[in-house]
Amino acid sequence: MRFTLNIWRQNGPTESGRFVSYEADDVSQGMSFLEMLDGVNQKLLVAGEEPVAFEYDCREGICGSCSLVIDGIPHGPDQGITTCQLYMRRFPDGANITIEPWRAKAFPIVKDLVVDRSALDRVMQAGGYVSVNTGGAVDGNALLIGKDQAETAMDAASCIGCGACVAACKNASAMLFVAAKVSHLALLPQGKPERTGRVTAMIEAMDREGFGSCGNQYECEAVCPKRISVRFIATLNREYRRAGIVESALPNASESPHAESV
Amino acid sequence: MTRLLRHFQSSVGSKVLLALSGLGLVGYVIFHMLGNLQVFEGSRALNSYAAFLRDMPIVLWTARIGLLGIAVIHVALAIHLSLQNRRARPRAYAIHRYRYASIASRTMAASGLVVLLFIVFHLLHLTAGIVGPSPPDRIDADGYRDVYGLLIHAFQNPVIVLIYVAGQVGLAFHLHHAVSSSLQTLGFEHAALNGLLKAAGPSVALLVVLGNVAIILAVFLRIVR
Ligand code: HEM
Ligand code: FES
Repeated sequence: MRFTLNIWRQNGPTESGRFVSYEADDVSQGMSFLEMLDGVNQKLLVAGEEPVAFEYDCREGICGSCSLVIDGIPHGPDQGITTCQLYMRRFPDGANITIEPWRAKAFPIVKDLVVDRSALDRVMQAGGYVSVNTGGAVDGNALLIGKDQAETAMDAASCIGCGACVAACKNASAMLFVAAKVSHLALLPQGKPERTGRVTAMIEAMDREGFGSCGNQYECEAVCPKRISVRFIATLNREYRRAGIVESALPNASESPHAESV
Repeated sequence: MTRLLRHFQSSVGSKVLLALSGLGLVGYVIFHMLGNLQVFEGSRALNSYAAFLRDMPIVLWTARIGLLGIAVIHVALAIHLSLQNRRARPRAYAIHRYRYASIASRTMAASGLVVLLFIVFHLLHLTAGIVGPSPPDRIDADGYRDVYGLLIHAFQNPVIVLIYVAGQVGLAFHLHHAVSSSLQTLGFEHAALNGLLKAAGPSVALLVVLGNVAIILAVFLRIVR
């Protein structure tokens, strides 16, 4: 198979970028999208040109590193998978394919197709710790959690933090990500001690990073490789209201837990 | 107080206020439509209903000021959030494809603007009587102000009909997404209710707009005269 790729090239965060066209030939149907790009880069290297920078790690859909907007859809045309799980047989031979980075103010471009997603890490940090007792190990079955509850928490916890929800959202909102993180802990007894403060801190951190607000279009769910449901956004909205009512005193500022070392 | 302020200043808090103010306006829009449907009962019913409302100046003005306040909150927050959202993606995608988003949900700011312009026109036209072809300001047989006559006069004019129907189309688009969206914003979600919550927007939009357009067209087509 052969393809014409229209790839966003940008040398650095402050430089202006542009689309450059590349030919990908000798592509086999069984290649993943990233393997196809590896082939393109191999040729660029041989020709003495700068290879296209793109991010990956596990290449099996579990780490959340890969991040390409392919023909206008984060992670490409298939639902419930990451870019590394997308295969070239999915595209018609000879197709033109446009490849862009995640675009959001909170995700500055590092180079070409690589963006800095540490804003998501900072939102997680703002959520803080989960209290765990030290001492002798507790019996595994001492803490009873209903099956439905555990399953729902697990659905939320399957978020791999890739940021496709932000990339797909018209408002570049991180609500689905924050909703997944807040919900999975709020649903479990282990997350209860810090439940109230966590949601407020994470939402304020999300706003600080410059993500937009949720317009309830559900494009996030449509592109989420883990098919995380927008019902967790409703859960997040409820958790936030609950915190507003329950919280006796809000912390002065939801600073990052490492703020004192700055 | 600062705590409340801080709660509603966040994106989620602002959305909650947007949803609550929007639902307040939805409540009024439904009430307004039901009231006006009395045009089908004849001039007597409508004129005495109008007089009944005007007979309670304190209630009337409280409602008017309350509505104005709610509308100002809604529009101010909508502008604030829209600008913030625009800033969240400084550079647009070369290609962007939607998967779930309805047309209505993608045009909320535009449909909101149409509704705003329409409301201004509507107030100047029928409430204040400043714009539009000047109507006969009459008193009916019972000594009430002839609101019925005003409507008949207004909606026999094709230009006015066009403006009102356009306003209703804008409202239909806005409500189609708004009502279901606001329920999600307020955190309503349950496996047994999701179908209902999703249908709420389109249903309310259809109900309100059918009711309003029925009045306009009934007069225009001389079914009601
Ligand atoms: C009769 C008048 C109106 C009603 C009944 C109404 C109702 C609503 C409701 C219920 C929402 C949903 C809130 C949510 O998404 O949680 C909403 C959102 C919105 N409204 Fe209105 N509205 C009206 C007029 C306006 C006007 C005049 C404007 C602007 C000029 C406007 C702009 C918006 C915008 C931008 C949104 C946000 C959509 C989003 O979050 O993506 N609305 N409206
Ligand atoms: S590279 Fe790990 S999810 Fe794609």
